[in-house]
Amino acid sequence: MDVGFILTNAIVLACIYGTLAIGLSITWSSVGLINLGYGFIFALSGYGAWLASQYISTNGVVVLTAGVLTGALGGLLVCALAFIPIHDKPNFTVRGLIATLAISLIGTQALLYVFGPRSKNLPDIFGFWKINLAGIVLTSDKIGNVVVSIVVVTAVLLWMRSSRRGLEIRAMMMNPHAASIVGIGVRKTGFYVMAITGGLAGLAAVLLSQTYYISPFGGLAPMIKGVSIALCGGLGSVRGAVIAAIILGLNEALTARLLGGQYVLITQFILIILILLVRPRGIAGILDRAREA
Amino acid sequence: MSAPVAAQPAAPAERREILKVKGLSAGYGPMRVIHDLDLSVYSGERVGIVGLNGHGKSTLFYAIAGLTGWQRGSILLNGVEVGRTRSQGPGRYTHLVVRQGLALIPQGDEIFHGLTVEEHLDSGAFTPRAWKERKERKEKILKIFPPLVKLLKTPVGRLSGGERRMVSIGRGLMADASLFLVDEPSLGLAPKIGKGVMEALFDVELGQSAMIIAEQNVALLEGRVDRVIGMHVGKLKGEASASLSFQTRREL
Amino acid sequence: MTGHIWRNPLYFWGVEGAEKEVPSIPHKSPQDVWDETTTSKAPMLPVGRLRYYYKWPGHGGLTWPRFRYWGTRRRALNIRSVYNPKTMRLEKTIVDKRPIWWVLGLLAFMLAPLVMPTSFQNTLLTAGATFSIYAAINLCWMLIIGTAGIYSLASYAVVGAAAFGTSWLSINLGLPWWALPLVGAGIGLVFGMIIAVPAIRLDGFYYALLTIGLNELCRVYTLQSKQFGSSTGGLYGADTYIPQGWDQYDQSLLAYYACFGVMLAGLALYRFIDGRRLGRILKMAPEKREAFAEATGVDFRRARIWVFVISSIGLGFIGGFYAAHYRGVSFSIFSFDTVLLGLAMLVIGGIGRAEGAVVGTAIVILLDKVLLSTGPLRLILIGLIMLGVVLFLKGGLFGIKAQFRAWRDKKKSERRSMRAEKGGEMLPEEATETKDKDLLYWRRYDKMQREFLKTVISPELIEEHRKKPLGQHSEPLERLLLYFRRAPQNDKYAIVAVEPFKAYRIVALSGQRGVAPRIVEDKIYTSTDEAYHGVFLRRVQDLLES
Repeated sequence: MDVGFILTNAIVLACIYGTLAIGLSITWSSVGLINLGYGFIFALSGYGAWLASQYISTNGVVVLTAGVLTGALGGLLVCALAFIPIHDKPNFTVRGLIATLAISLIGTQALLYVFGPRSKNLPDIFGFWKINLAGIVLTSDKIGNVVVSIVVVTAVLLWMRSSRRGLEIRAMMMNPHAASIVGIGVRKTGFYVMAITGGLAGLAAVLLSQTYYISPFGGLAPMIKGVSIALCGGLGSVRGAVIAAIILGLNEALTARLLGGQYVLITQFILIILILLVRPRGIAGILDRAREA
Repeated sequence: MSAPVAAQPAAPAERREILKVKGLSAGYGPMRVIHDLDLSVYSGERVGIVGLNGHGKSTLFYAIAGLTGWQRGSILLNGVEVGRTRSQGPGRYTHLVVRQGLALIPQGDEIFHGLTVEEHLDSGAFTPRAWKERKERKEKILKIFPPLVKLLKTPVGRLSGGERRMVSIGRGLMADASLFLVDEPSLGLAPKIGKGVMEALFDVELGQSAMIIAEQNVALLEGRVDRVIGMHVGKLKGEASASLSFQTRREL
Repeated sequence: MTGHIWRNPLYFWGVEGAEKEVPSIPHKSPQDVWDETTTSKAPMLPVGRLRYYYKWPGHGGLTWPRFRYWGTRRRALNIRSVYNPKTMRLEKTIVDKRPIWWVLGLLAFMLAPLVMPTSFQNTLLTAGATFSIYAAINLCWMLIIGTAGIYSLASYAVVGAAAFGTSWLSINLGLPWWALPLVGAGIGLVFGMIIAVPAIRLDGFYYALLTIGLNELCRVYTLQSKQFGSSTGGLYGADTYIPQGWDQYDQSLLAYYACFGVMLAGLALYRFIDGRRLGRILKMAPEKREAFAEATGVDFRRARIWVFVISSIGLGFIGGFYAAHYRGVSFSIFSFDTVLLGLAMLVIGGIGRAEGAVVGTAIVILLDKVLLSTGPLRLILIGLIMLGVVLFLKGGLFGIKAQFRAWRDKKKSERRSMRAEKGGEMLPEEATETKDKDLLYWRRYDKMQREFLKTVISPELIEEHRKKPLGQHSEPLERLLLYFRRAPQNDKYAIVAVEPFKAYRIVALSGQRGVAPRIVEDKIYTSTDEAYHGVFLRRVQDLLES
């Protein structure tokens, strides 16, 4: 348990959980849905990738693509069930939250029913090699995880910043009413958003399965971590989520080093509660004060 | 019935019917704001709608855009039926209406706080045709509202009321629309700035499109629009050409 | 299209140039229009209002004995008595029948063990006990979710923490069973304080997510620590209130009634928080309306802390009882599925009402126990029910009535607003204000007439008028001209002779004495007939435009 090992581990986890958190954040801020079915999408895409590795090819790209596509499909499913029917009805946020919880319940139980409780593992998609960097050993999966997640998240963010669909999504984030006036279809954009965030969940699932196994309920813990990062960063803020991912990753590494593994969640929640008590809208509230008004 | 039509002052051949509203009723919940209203607007026309608060000017615009609680009656925009009998889901079909060539410039500030002015103008051009030529359109808008040139990279949330209104109107004008609905452009602005905004609206080259401006202040519209229509408890009253609006004002 | 022949009444008077019959231009008969307008198009719906309430007879001179709860001025039933205006008899209506249903339901639950078939007796008694415990938990949870409107998902975490704490104390320190709920209440109090603090600052969804995290934290912590029996899947061996010497049936029966007692206590707690001052304050300050509540002088922060503390004490008490009931507790109480099932119970019943919590619990527990053999399928079924309820119902099963009424009223008002007719008829707002109600009917008639005359106008008709502006005309033209002649004086068209027999011009009368007519157009007509026709065309045009 040397510092370098823990640190690299923390960075890797931060990257993956950050991916999840950014997905959650985008979902909340653009379509106004707290997607607690995210854990289910996560598990679903893990199984999708596993099926692809079983029946198509164990090539890393294929497995990764299969995971991302299944995740996007799961996102579309959640959108069709929990967003489309009720998005203009009263109490949408609460009902949407409960609907996604229901989907999560149904989905995980269905996965359990279909695939059984035994967990599966994916092939190593990044191969086996390692680099020794100033005494810190970096294995291929760690480097691969970090690089892929950063590249994909950056690509998604750049796409959102520059393209037309991205502009639509950002416009809908800020003022859905005005968005419909300029000709943005809320439902259509909802499908885009959910597909993208679902894809992000799928990516995180495949990447995380390099370290952990895939099981029907395996999506819960990553979702909680993603949620706590999104919370800590401020829902709807991508910058905040990135910073929060780094902070919480560091915290995890430090706690594991100084206090021991079982205290990680406790310190993490104390940290989150403290941050939220100071800034009820997370780090984003510190970043720009205008949002709070 | 061709004879009485022929007896009318001969209409110019290129006058196309942009908007034809027939028997439109609309409201929110149990409240009916617009009562069985008929309205036709032809291309190249600038129409003013005048009426007091709460007499349904904004609701008329919202009904055309499909944003009211419920509505009945037919709305033909460029010959395409966009009004349907609808009792729920305000805004569900608005983007389709907008795609048919509607640009609604709503009352107040319906803006996206975090986007910059430039992105904002881009957001007005979401219809496929307008998106391709958004550069030229932006230049056109900037010619109409020169103060915006300096502000292109500023987030809209930091602008003043008049500038926001300019952005909002500019966003509307970016669209490749055949019908512009402008709701109270001078509301909440200092009289001078309001007048400037109105002037800008009057100077817009309409070409084949049409524009409807809702205003409470007849004086701002006088002589600058082709027709002034009064609106009273959800119905259109007394139509007159703008030159006559002096004489008919008492009845409005 | 009728009236192809127009008989001239003037013919017999020997008027010059009069013909006996003139073929008229085909047109719609005004009689048809009249019949069409005057027949009622309203569907013949049953008249009057449905009686939503059963009317009990009054008891002669006796008033009903009015029972009041001791120490309060509250009556058991909200009864309204009204004199029937027709029969002049006293009628009584029970406005709120829920107390009756509650008493009947609870009685039935209490007496149920007497009629249980012996083969299922044990299963049913256990299921009843489970139901009661979960109902009690859900009632406490409903105080937070429903009354305070805070989406806290940590209630099972409080129960679990209390259960784990008391089990551990009972196993290691030998705490007796009666102390477990009390100690549990203490643990609940501490926990409640902890989860109440963020609730003051945080928005609803931040809080919901945070509490899910807390729940997960508890699960992971107990799962990893050896003290709480990570190897055995739970902590077992706590002291229990059920005497081990009794036979199986008596044990189950005791457990059944003990749990029933806990549920009754939960109901009482719910009633005393939700129906009283604290509940009112909390309902005044739901999510996003805190500022308004604060402005009216409501200290919602304190109220929220209070409700958290009270319901957490309740939850902790139940947690201690849980430990004493099951002789311990397993990790599954912290699992996400438990929270989801609990939420499903609340959502299915309807958030914000006690009956929702209890009936929802009953439904879910029933499905859970009946379909136990199907494994994960039953959870899928529960999830589907939950999804359906959320998608289609606004307030769960007990909100169906209100939702249906709201929908019906909306449809009613939409239909009503569609019925008003078009044209000269006044708008509803104007019609109520105008003094002369006759005007309403005149306008309606005028509008009908104009609509009819518009259908009559045709090129042939105009041609006929052009040929002969004065004199005998066909029926439609005659009707049209009669209508024009009846027009009021203001803005009526007239002809001015600029130069007799040479130049005529159309003017419009002002309708006021002393005010000169205004000139309508610049065109000069060279003969009277032409001028007549010009006026006719203008009037036709005005009619068509009206």
